[in-house]
Amino acid sequence: MMAAGLANITAGFGRALRSWAQRRQGIDPLEVELHTRRIYILPTRAGLVFALITFVMLLGAMNYNNNLGFALTFLLAAVAIVSINHCHYNLAGLRVAAMGAEPVFVGDKFQFQFALHNARDARRWQIRLNWDGQGEAKYVDVPATSQKILALSLVAEQRGLQRAPRLRVSTRFPLGLLQSWAWLNVELTGLAYPRPAERALGAAAGSLTQAGANTSGEDDYAGMRQWRPGDSPRRIAWKAFARTGQRLVNEYSGAGAPVWIDWSSEPDRNTEQRIAKLARRVLNAETSGREFGLRIPGVEVAPAQGPGQRHRCLQALALVGASASAAA
Amino acid sequence: MSQQTTTDRRKEPARGSLGQLLWLAAALTVAVLPHLPYIALWVPILVSAVVGWRLLAAGYRWPLPSAWVRVPLALSGFAGVLLTYRQVTGVDAGSALLLVMATMKLLETRGQRDRAVVVFLCFFLLFSAFLREQALWAPAYLFIGVLVLITALLQVSRFDGTVKPATALATSGRLLLQALPLAALFFLLFPRIPGPFWSLPQRGSQAMTGLSESMSPGDITDLALSDAIAFRVRFDGDAPRGSDLYWRGPVLSEFDGREWAMRALGFFPKLTEQLRDEGPAARYEITLEPHGRRWLLALETPIEWDAEAAVISAPYQLVRFRPIEQRTTYRARSLLSGTTPGIMTERGRTADLKLPAGTNPRSLSLAQNMRAESADDAGYLDAVLSMFREQPFFYSLTPAILGAQSVDDFLFNTREGFCGHYASAFVVLARAAGIPARVITGYQGGELNPLANHWVIRQADAHAWAEVWLNDRWLRYDPTAAVAPERIEWGMDGALSRGSIAGADEFRRRFLSTGLYMSWDALNAAWNRWVLGFGPDSQSDLLRWTGITAPSLRHLVLGLAIGMIALLGLAGAWHYRQLQGSREPLLRAYRQLCERTARTWRPRKPAEGPQEYATAVATVRPDLATELNTLFGAYARLRYDGPQDTRRISAFSRAVRRFRPARRPPDARD
Repeated sequence: MMAAGLANITAGFGRALRSWAQRRQGIDPLEVELHTRRIYILPTRAGLVFALITFVMLLGAMNYNNNLGFALTFLLAAVAIVSINHCHYNLAGLRVAAMGAEPVFVGDKFQFQFALHNARDARRWQIRLNWDGQGEAKYVDVPATSQKILALSLVAEQRGLQRAPRLRVSTRFPLGLLQSWAWLNVELTGLAYPRPAERALGAAAGSLTQAGANTSGEDDYAGMRQWRPGDSPRRIAWKAFARTGQRLVNEYSGAGAPVWIDWSSEPDRNTEQRIAKLARRVLNAETSGREFGLRIPGVEVAPAQGPGQRHRCLQALALVGASASAAA
Repeated sequence: MSQQTTTDRRKEPARGSLGQLLWLAAALTVAVLPHLPYIALWVPILVSAVVGWRLLAAGYRWPLPSAWVRVPLALSGFAGVLLTYRQVTGVDAGSALLLVMATMKLLETRGQRDRAVVVFLCFFLLFSAFLREQALWAPAYLFIGVLVLITALLQVSRFDGTVKPATALATSGRLLLQALPLAALFFLLFPRIPGPFWSLPQRGSQAMTGLSESMSPGDITDLALSDAIAFRVRFDGDAPRGSDLYWRGPVLSEFDGREWAMRALGFFPKLTEQLRDEGPAARYEITLEPHGRRWLLALETPIEWDAEAAVISAPYQLVRFRPIEQRTTYRARSLLSGTTPGIMTERGRTADLKLPAGTNPRSLSLAQNMRAESADDAGYLDAVLSMFREQPFFYSLTPAILGAQSVDDFLFNTREGFCGHYASAFVVLARAAGIPARVITGYQGGELNPLANHWVIRQADAHAWAEVWLNDRWLRYDPTAAVAPERIEWGMDGALSRGSIAGADEFRRRFLSTGLYMSWDALNAAWNRWVLGFGPDSQSDLLRWTGITAPSLRHLVLGLAIGMIALLGLAGAWHYRQLQGSREPLLRAYRQLCERTARTWRPRKPAEGPQEYATAVATVRPDLATELNTLFGAYARLRYDGPQDTRRISAFSRAVRRFRPARRPPDARD
């Protein structure tokens, strides 16, 4: 009961502190130098135990009237007090640059990258990075005048743009008795592609060619040509490359005509399932190495090929139904 | 790249790094070392076995024992302590228990929190070591111990393994050095509330040497071989003669035929009022080593003293209500008259004449015969002393063992003994002749340390003499002086070096009188006086020294607050400077370069690049062209080419500091 009550009070205090910090800090730019004004510091649980130990030692020293006991007690207390400065100083002036995350499919994890830049001529110890109040934490020591890059993962929960939670940068240096921390309210978003339908849906794969305007031929080998930017690496004739040193690309007849992946060609009524199937077809089309385009209500992606096209199409699918501003 | 990821402590890998375990082992070692001479042997053996196993387990990735192993092991450790010490409190048993607990904790160290708990227990162990050991080397050990423990804490509170020992030690060493002024301030000004708040546990195995409440033949012989210091004395002015240095301790009035014992302390009459304050006297300060008993020692006959809660008991013995568990310093003044006042009631006279019926019959008849031959009591006592002096009585540290009728055996058979034998025999003979008498134990003589100008009285100086009631006061008789006058004239050393006592260790004695030893003793005394003896009185003295006439708790708290604000302000200012300075050394130097260049013509425009600005200034000031090109070029290279090299940046900063351009071109001067 007591513990639960205490936890409630602590949680309430934490909420109040967070919203207060949010109000006074506002939204942060992508790169922030941790100024002393935004660094908070409180004792950790180990710090409270340490304080209790010091107090018991003080009582003991008084009881035995033992001056060496006093000396030990006072030395430990002074070390704890001095370590406040060190804990705070370890964080102050650190530059944190948010570098964003690559798009991932729903259910996979974003890897949000952060660069920690230490301009100071001294090591910064045990910098801890985590999403405020959730997820795993990462630790790193940043050596003098250098930078380290850390990635924090975040599960992509639904397609579209996903806002990353508030970032917490903290340290318990030097003795783990205190924790200083700063909150970063960076507007970080990651793009979550729709989860593609399972490959096993053979019908969808089969319908690719039927749905395309040009259904005349299968992939008939039609010779090789010089590599051009945008060609899929899968189509490079690696054997020929090894032999001649020239990057040649296998050409198939019928590959010249673009494949259209069309919203209306997908019979599924359920929007999400339809998007999943379209996403699968985008992936298949990209694998096949052909030019492909996407037509969905309100958006048309002109035919092209390669990873860039794949991204454009998946992004368009991810943002179906999202507001216009988010799509832009 | 140390991008290796470690999750938070609940998900952390079970083992922690081997390096962190090694640091825990170091912490345990530092904590257990000062306890080694005192704790039962099985405890350190258990500790090393568990630590060794734990390290192997980490190295070979063995699984840690389950609760089924740990709990019985912990319980048997607890039982072991209980069986060994018959208690779990007290310094010895408590330390042993703490050690066992810390060791058991090592078997379940999974996370950062478990490791920190082990270090915390080590802090307690270090603390308890100082309850026992307060020698001069103790503060050095304190410092080293704290250094190792906080380094261990620094290492084990890391989430991804240890850093290099040198790096960690440098960091924690700096922390410790910065903490020292604050710790000193606390030590000097933190209000000391005198304890004890709870009863002091027994000192356990550490029996204290010293006088006791009783004396049987041969007891003092054991003390005579001990170099342990009983107390130190500093006289105001000249010290009295060596033969006047009778340090009065327990008064033994009860005799059972063999053993002398203290009488239960009764009422406390104001005996000092009977003293006439005249004749030679001495004023001095005693620093008494703790002996666990309630009596204080003072030069015979004390008339004034400032020891806390001390009174004179009925047999004129200076006693305190609480046992002397700590080193105690007090001042006193004594008359060197060789007499002490007393009140002789009928009951008291009976008690001080009492001899157990049927004991020492030959001594009784000897006393009656000798008394009949003497004119008065004083003459009789002189006759007894003459007997000791003229008949073949010997002074020996290794006397023959006495039988049941100890005094008879001594007077008629063995005829050799130590001060206790002579004092005992003398008092028995006096009582047998109807003269109230008692045995006084204490110390006689001492040794001057000329470096510190104090006297050192050791257990070896323990002595016993007699007091008899003559002419309404107690008069000191020292029968040992009749047998071995050199013992009184020259002290213990004199008696031994003159060959009258066998079995003394010549080499040890000689070492104790060397200059080296004297310096060591002087250092120890200063340590005791200024550091270990620092207390509320010293705090008042300190405040008085700063000019406060009536020091109080308020002044202490105020001083502490001012000192803390000053120190923390100083630290804060330094901290702030560091923060400003370290932000970007290159930018700082560049700003300085621009400021200095601005004096020669115009400041840099906000959008102007370094090369641009340098060229612009060089056209107006061709005399500075080379320097400007070098400096601004260096900045541009440092800023925009490749990784920043601290050495090159500091070279650049130095070059900027040396750059002092003239405000005007040299030819423009007129």
